[in-house]
Amino acid sequence: MASGALTREQDVREAYSAHGSELYGFAVRSLGDAGLAEEAVQETFVRAWRAGERFDPQIGSLRTWLFAILRNVVIDLGRARAARPGVAEGGIEPSVEPLNEVLLSWQVEEALRRIGEDHRRVIVESFYRGRPYAEIAEELGVPEGTVKSRVYYGLRALRVALEETGYDG
Amino acid sequence: MTADHNREWRESLGAYALGHLSDEERAGLEAHLEGCADCRAELESLSAVGRLLPLADPEQLGTPPALPRDLGDRVMASIAGERRQSRRRRFRFGFALSGATAAIAAAAILAIFILPGGGEEAPSQEVAFASLPPKMQIGARLEPRPFGTELHVYVSGVRSGELCRVFLESKNGNRLSAGSFRYRWGGEDSQATLSSGLDLARTKAIGIRVGDRTFVESVDGGGEAS
Repeated sequence: MASGALTREQDVREAYSAHGSELYGFAVRSLGDAGLAEEAVQETFVRAWRAGERFDPQIGSLRTWLFAILRNVVIDLGRARAARPGVAEGGIEPSVEPLNEVLLSWQVEEALRRIGEDHRRVIVESFYRGRPYAEIAEELGVPEGTVKSRVYYGLRALRVALEETGYDG
Repeated sequence: MTADHNREWRESLGAYALGHLSDEERAGLEAHLEGCADCRAELESLSAVGRLLPLADPEQLGTPPALPRDLGDRVMASIAGERRQSRRRRFRFGFALSGATAAIAAAAILAIFILPGGGEEAPSQEVAFASLPPKMQIGARLEPRPFGTELHVYVSGVRSGELCRVFLESKNGNRLSAGSFRYRWGGEDSQATLSSGLDLARTKAIGIRVGDRTFVESVDGGGEAS
């Protein structure tokens, strides 16, 4: 038997405490519905457990593997939702944004959350809010060159964080 | 060119990738890029990241939604259920390999204690339907009762409101309805409790008709793939 990382209940418990929160965040953002997101996370760990012996830590991280499973679960739930007519009984119609785009949006947002505050701040202020570097520099009390270099190191950190969220583009 | 000078160009690459440099700065950096393959490669990689930025909604960058407190318990409960099922499968597999003598002895015990009376002597059974479309899951727990068999059936991945009709197949091939339920998506509990007059010990298979599709899985342990 291969020594997979998810062959004991203790492994699942540890995997859940390490990654459950992020997986749930991803599921909520993708599905737009907390109840469905809970179902998706639960299903992810069940599928992971069933395939636990096939998980090989030498090929990729547990986190990447769980995200790949969750992504499939979300796609399956999205398909089921697309096939379902009308509004669910007693429920709120969940988000209908194109699924792949939402997955990608979540990955970028999650990556932005994961990088350091200094880096995130300059990217948000300059890119999303369109503020000039001089203004940001003044607000932060640092030279303008520092803002510029933080944008550079911020994008580099973002690149690593994106890979961690499973982005493979 | 000094290392510091090089670093200055390099640290401008992020601003360049995002289109934040002045015309003058841009012209200077482009002249440097002509002769620096490392910076060109780095720029390409950073530009790819920069192209993804418009996909994010900066309003979403706050605190992510809190993990529901009992979700971990529910995950572990599902895993415990899975483990019970796989133990049973392993047991069955071991039984198949354990040699003719043991098999005959066990068959004799089954014949003496279970087959004649049926009913409550039969152990309860967990059944996971194996051949299903990828998004669908069906499972059932069958428990012996004085009246016959109590069934706990759970499905997921089917259309909300879909009618699911459940039947048990006896060892002599008769199909007896065990009732029906509708799967409601987003409901608190997707499990239905049904009952049948057929003794569990006389039950060969459980079937479920979902819309116009029928799925059957064996119950007695003889036919289930492990």
